[in-house]
Amino acid sequence: MRLLTHNMLSSNIKGVTNGFPLGIIIDKSTQIEVEINTDFLKTMFSKIDWKALVDAATLMGYSDLPEEVDESMLESEELLNKFHHALLELHLEEGALICPETGRRFPVSKGIPNMLLHEDEI
Amino acid sequence: MNSVLGTCEHPYLQLSLKHSPFFRRTRLSLPPTFNNNRRRTQVKMASITTTTVEMGANNELLKKGIAELYDESSGIWEDIWGDHMHHGFYDPDGNANISDHRSAQIRMIEEALNVANVANSEDSSKIPKNIVDVGCGIGGSSRYLARKFGASCQGITLSPIQAQRAQALANAQGLGDKVLFQVADALQQPFPNGHFDLVWSMESGEHMPDKRKFVSELVRVAAPGATIIIVTWCHRDLSPSEESLQPEEKELLRKICDSYYLPDWCSTADYVELLKSFSLQDIKSADWSKYVAPFWPAVIRSALTWKGITSLLRAVPQRPPEWWTCLCKVVRNGCLGWKTIKGALAMPMMIEGYKKDLIKFAIITCRRPE
Repeated sequence: MRLLTHNMLSSNIKGVTNGFPLGIIIDKSTQIEVEINTDFLKTMFSKIDWKALVDAATLMGYSDLPEEVDESMLESEELLNKFHHALLELHLEEGALICPETGRRFPVSKGIPNMLLHEDEI
Repeated sequence: MNSVLGTCEHPYLQLSLKHSPFFRRTRLSLPPTFNNNRRRTQVKMASITTTTVEMGANNELLKKGIAELYDESSGIWEDIWGDHMHHGFYDPDGNANISDHRSAQIRMIEEALNVANVANSEDSSKIPKNIVDVGCGIGGSSRYLARKFGASCQGITLSPIQAQRAQALANAQGLGDKVLFQVADALQQPFPNGHFDLVWSMESGEHMPDKRKFVSELVRVAAPGATIIIVTWCHRDLSPSEESLQPEEKELLRKICDSYYLPDWCSTADYVELLKSFSLQDIKSADWSKYVAPFWPAVIRSALTWKGITSLLRAVPQRPPEWWTCLCKVVRNGCLGWKTIKGALAMPMMIEGYKKDLIKFAIITCRRPE
């Protein structure tokens, strides 16, 4: 699971007011290089919750992202590379995503998050 | 929405191939007990006789059944038909050759985009950049749309096997950074409100036990101005004087539901009314039944090849119960597996449903207001 995915997943358990961002438990993580696409990054920037990305990347062991960014800073190649690395190259292979209000664990297995709710959570 | 209720009931687990290709209507030697079975089973109206707890339990069984169905059958389908788990779109009077089907499946996607005017926009700001594929299968549509629009696409499926396979294919095709899959329920999508500018549901709506909830989630995750495209199986629209389908029509659908993992059917008009109730705009709908008709016979022909038959024989449940193991030993030297037999028994009913204009292959599109 890439952090691009983490940045848009939320817990929709019944009664939860704000299920985003999900906490992360890391049992196994990897880094996989992928070619950078700056147009894609610039398009995605407006959709990304930057703080959630920074926090998630830090949990995954990458702390090089600046705390705050505005769109004008995206012209910096260095920043784009860091953004690219955090968003797309850090992988959670095994672990869990945690509902911020209930602590419920959503398992991540072989890189695939399982966000299915139990019957009593609907 | 009277027709939504009471067409089907799923109180127990039944594993069948939804669109199993292995059916021959006239040439199969069907067990005489089935042919002669005229036992009529009472159709239960879910809204009247089933409690909320029972409906919840039924839906849990349904979801589990759908997940297991596709966990077990997706590999077979991909092996023979490739990564698009939906029907092809054909010229009604044309003869479909086996080599035409891949392009017909692509055409289905393109024709759906055309109905909704997604592909026709000359304004680059209207090109979707964030797509959700609801009921994504092994990701055929997700990867195609992501590649076509240079977009990010999230796919959701109840089947962990499908999600893994979908991601593996995306990674192998260099799309692993754009096309991402998770196991999730279309009735509780794990996404924030208004996140996607194209909401795509290709032949998954028929699995949704609560059509209103299904549509409400499609709307919730759609951004202002987003397009929603639903391609799905429906039953015929009711005439103004009708309260519900005719008893024999309900009975036919009930039998079909008993053989596949399908909850209550609704009509195309029901979907249109639902979309109107959410104040969506540019609502369009069409009956595409005649454009998909060549698909089934072609699927049957492709399945009755050595590759098709041997693929089926390899499809055993991941944790087979003892009775299954025994049955496999019995049927292994035959030409069909147990799921195939069950699916085969239902296929004549699907064909009958089409010929009676009861079953429709529908497309419904709309746009969320800006």
